[in-house]
Amino acid sequence: MRLSKVWTIIRHEYVTNVRRPGFIIMTAIVPALALIGLLVGAYGGGLLKNMGQSLVNFFEGTSKRIGVVDGTGLFTPLLPEYEGNFTLFGGEEEARKALEDGKVDAVLVISSDYIENGKVRVIAKGSSFEAVALEDSKWFKGFFVSHLLRGKVEPAVSRRAADPVTIQPEVLGEKGKVQGGGPWGILFTFIIPYFLAFMLVMTIFVSSGYLLQGIAEEKENRVMEIIVSSVSPLELLVGKVVGLGAVGLTQVLVWLLSLLGFTSGAVMLLTISAFSLPPSTLLLLVIYYVLGFAIYAFLMAGIGSLGTTMRESQQVAGILSLFAAAPYMLSGFLMANPNLTIARVLSFFPLTAPTMMLFRLPLAKVPWVDVAGSLAILSLSLLGAIWLGEKLFRVGILIYGKRPSWKEIWLILRSS
Amino acid sequence: MVIEVRNLLKRYGELVAVRGLSFEVKKGEIFGLLGPNGAGKTTTIRILMDILKPDEGEVKVLGRSPSEVKEKVGYLPEERGLYQGLGVLETLVYFAELKGVPRFVAKERANSLLEKVDLLDRAKGKVKELSKGMQQKLQFIASIIHDPEVVFLDEPFQGLDPVNVELIKGLITELREQGKTVVLSSHQMNLVEALCDRILLINKGEAVLYGPIREIKKRFTPNSILVKSPQLPPIVKGVQAVTRKDDAFLLTLAEGTSPQAVIKALVEEGVELEAFEVAPVPLEDIFVKVVKEGRHSALI
Repeated sequence: MRLSKVWTIIRHEYVTNVRRPGFIIMTAIVPALALIGLLVGAYGGGLLKNMGQSLVNFFEGTSKRIGVVDGTGLFTPLLPEYEGNFTLFGGEEEARKALEDGKVDAVLVISSDYIENGKVRVIAKGSSFEAVALEDSKWFKGFFVSHLLRGKVEPAVSRRAADPVTIQPEVLGEKGKVQGGGPWGILFTFIIPYFLAFMLVMTIFVSSGYLLQGIAEEKENRVMEIIVSSVSPLELLVGKVVGLGAVGLTQVLVWLLSLLGFTSGAVMLLTISAFSLPPSTLLLLVIYYVLGFAIYAFLMAGIGSLGTTMRESQQVAGILSLFAAAPYMLSGFLMANPNLTIARVLSFFPLTAPTMMLFRLPLAKVPWVDVAGSLAILSLSLLGAIWLGEKLFRVGILIYGKRPSWKEIWLILRSS
Repeated sequence: MVIEVRNLLKRYGELVAVRGLSFEVKKGEIFGLLGPNGAGKTTTIRILMDILKPDEGEVKVLGRSPSEVKEKVGYLPEERGLYQGLGVLETLVYFAELKGVPRFVAKERANSLLEKVDLLDRAKGKVKELSKGMQQKLQFIASIIHDPEVVFLDEPFQGLDPVNVELIKGLITELREQGKTVVLSSHQMNLVEALCDRILLINKGEAVLYGPIREIKKRFTPNSILVKSPQLPPIVKGVQAVTRKDDAFLLTLAEGTSPQAVIKALVEEGVELEAFEVAPVPLEDIFVKVVKEGRHSALI
């Protein structure tokens, strides 16, 4: 294979395709939508922010004015930090009147046997939803704990008892290294597999679209025969796969970066996510990504060249893309256990292995047998895909007007 | 020899497209590769261009395997086209680069060839803005942009008007003058006759006529003369039959009679002769006759 010719084809495919109005419009549409979203957000940002805060306050209850009827004496007087939101009433009648007059949003009736059974009546207007929301509020629970422990323990211990734990999860990675310190760290490990698997599937979809379109157009324009009189079908195939793969990757990257750029902080999140993974895992992810894309692209180009219309080619491409997207269906189970038997099995099947391993690798320590086995199978499959793609391509590019039968395809493959 | 083909065989499943074909093409000649549709011409050219692989036989171009000399060979396929959305100059430069010509050299050559076919003013335009005839000319120069040693032209005159046919004819002749070898496949027999030095006629994948065009025509020429005259005597010495052909008479001569002897006899009898010639046999007639009869005896 002569690399200078392959490079000429790569450059030609890339330059001519990124200049197409269709490519420019399709590429610009996502950033344009994101920009519109940003402008709308900026215009109505204050309103949205207030709405958001109101929702938080509603569920946390921190904005509520609550009346307290203390039958135990444990809450009288109120601790200074709660005086803003809580008001003591001498009796239930007085508190109910304040509720009806709108001076408080809810009334707590703490009976004298509260210590024995923990029961507190919550009187609110409208529905019982507010009472339920208060029960789940950390701030509300803190009110009880702080008053119950008043004078019995140090103030710091009392505060801790009111808010006893903030979990900092850590996952033991390779060689005892801790990865993803903090709750965000755990989130990061989910982002990476989702992002990479999404990128792979998207690049396969987008690039295969360009590949099939390019091949169909060249067949339609009858340029193919002129090209293969100068370069070998393999050189043309590799040039097309790399060139149009780059076109697809450019489009997907522009889409993602524009979305990430417009959603502040997301880029940083992704960067942190990537750095939180060990370099060996990152390297493996890149290898799986490249192998996965190459296998799909060679197969699609070969099979696509047999089609006589763009529609025919796209149908075949659609079936192949389903395999790439299949591991997404298992993503829920994978998050819980990345080493599920079905996941391990699919990691050895060439068409599902790339996406599956992109999912599994960042989530947990994948057995080395799976990594070595799937890499070996993928490498062999790539050679097979190039061989098959080249043979089909060699025949397909010279077929005009009629689609060969399966028997003809078989005869061609056998004779070559 | 520039091209050597020995016992070439190519099958498509059950169908044998080329069967035991052997021929040679000499340096600097225009060689006609002829045959009816489906005879195996395009398959033979595709094998010589390394687009298809032969099942059996030996093929050499410029003394080497076709895959090794792609950069020295030009090709104008029958199934041809251009990138409609690409620029004219850009198209030529891309095709030249694929043949290993550096970009800056390709640009120079492209401009010079565009000037030759009156398309220089269209260099910066898009291919789709060109007329069909202009695109044909562009395809032709794309096949010689890399200054090849050998050029395969499959139906180069297809769809061209008489003016552009003359232009392409001139360019093909020029290639021969430069010492290049041209393999020409065409159904326009008058043009093949005018341009080719030697021909190979194939039918159903087999060679049925092969050799210098002059010798083939001589072999097929019947012993007859064409005489233009207001009237001929009913019996002419040495003439077997007289048939009217348009505004002339075709005289079939008896065996052993020379055309000169018949002319002499006509003059002696006082026949008014406006014109006379040894009856020519157009290549087209030979083509039709050989293909219909499926004869092999004419192989030289």
